[in-house]
Amino acid sequence: MHGALRLEGVGRRYGLRGPWVLRGVDLTADPATLIRVEGANGTGKSTLLRLLARVDAPTEGRVTGRPRTAHVPERFPAALPFTALGYLTHLAAVHGLDRTAAERAAGDWLERFGAGTHARTPMTRLSKGSSQKVAVAQALLAEPELLILDEAWTGLDTDARAELERAVAERTAAGTAVVFVDHDPRRLAGTTDVVYAVRDGTLHRRVPQPAAGADGPHTVVEVRGPSPLPEGALRLVVSAEETGDRTHRLTVPAARSDVLLRALLTASPPWHVVGVGPADREGRP
Amino acid sequence: MTALLRYQSALLLRSQRWLPPFLLYAVLLGIGVQGGQPLLDSLGYTAAALLPVAAWLVRICVSGEPPAARTVVAAAAGPARAHLACVLVALGAATLLGTASTAVVALVSDPVGADHQQRVPALEGTAAGLLACLTCALLGTAVGALTAWPVLRSPGRAVPATLLAALLALVVTGSPAHAAVSGLVGGSHTATVHLPLLATAAAALLTAAATGAACALTSRRSP
Repeated sequence: MHGALRLEGVGRRYGLRGPWVLRGVDLTADPATLIRVEGANGTGKSTLLRLLARVDAPTEGRVTGRPRTAHVPERFPAALPFTALGYLTHLAAVHGLDRTAAERAAGDWLERFGAGTHARTPMTRLSKGSSQKVAVAQALLAEPELLILDEAWTGLDTDARAELERAVAERTAAGTAVVFVDHDPRRLAGTTDVVYAVRDGTLHRRVPQPAAGADGPHTVVEVRGPSPLPEGALRLVVSAEETGDRTHRLTVPAARSDVLLRALLTASPPWHVVGVGPADREGRP
Repeated sequence: MTALLRYQSALLLRSQRWLPPFLLYAVLLGIGVQGGQPLLDSLGYTAAALLPVAAWLVRICVSGEPPAARTVVAAAAGPARAHLACVLVALGAATLLGTASTAVVALVSDPVGADHQQRVPALEGTAAGLLACLTCALLGTAVGALTAWPVLRSPGRAVPATLLAALLALVVTGSPAHAAVSGLVGGSHTATVHLPLLATAAAALLTAAATGAACALTSRRSP
């Protein structure tokens, strides 16, 4: 990691006398944080994301840090003369994977988003949703240090949307800084660390209300093991209560349940998972 | 960088957009070069015709991807490096094309001066032809880099600018391409071979500067 990405007093306008799209932007994408950017259409969200991806240079101010970055653009075109698998293999190599790892990662990620059957389909023949899956897969397969998602959920089917939420939870748990824009205000609501609103050509920071964590589906995990609970697990859960001798009931946002289970099972000594189930509104299994 | 070059080469090959400039070049050579003509004259023509073709190839390579695909690659590799890969692939394709054509032209031409009397050393003449081709490929790449995205964005201005700049690069005295080509054609009259080393070096410097400027602009223009 070459330092977290940091914008200091950044402004951007196009052309010498163009109007300022953004001005006075300060933002740090710390590792393992999930950052939401919101704002009305045309306020400069995409410009901000392009600045974060360092695809765009600021007109004024400073951008520091060079994390390995992956970007999922707003509309991903299918007009490329490759098959889905061929394109992803090329992109994985551009991201720095060697040839064998690139091919394996490309296949695995297509499979994970339910597009494995389209691996050999030319990109020009992919549906809108399938090419969006390719766009998302190219960003995730290289395990980036900074992941930028510009409306990445739009166009995905329900299963792929949930899969992307799980993938984002995995990446943040592994230390990736994730910055995302999405129209759905409930998207990753329980797990977002910081929210920035783009308004009047600048950025307003607000910490998400704790109540936001109550939104969205939750999962209850019952585990048995030696107290205390591992630090990595405690960071993920919404609530943890000791229900009996060495038994704990943990409530976690559904997107993070896999990450929680991994943290518990890979702890030393590992915890025993008694049961996993969806939670009702009160957080009871 | 290797991965980027491989990706851009695959994009150029598979898109089949290389075909029109290759065909144009073949037609130009078919019109201008005939078997048994003086070697140096034909090689000079072969080199000169490569310049606009190289500029066209750069235009094809830098506009080969839809903007979103370009953003994806630029985020992963840096926008300047991504652009450099496009330009280098175009230069590589033009150089390959020029080398192959020079070899064919050298085989079918007569190693004599313009008067069809004095002999011209064939090997030296071919070497001079290769250098002239490289000079024109380099200068064509510079022209292409400076008249395509991100320097000029609307095709309405970029295409005429490319054509005009390619023409000027060939005819203006002082241009390395002009020096290399007129060195060959002039040498044909006296049946002497001048290796255009200085012109090739100058073209390399110019192209490096032009490409550097275009790459630096990539993150400063709107998508």
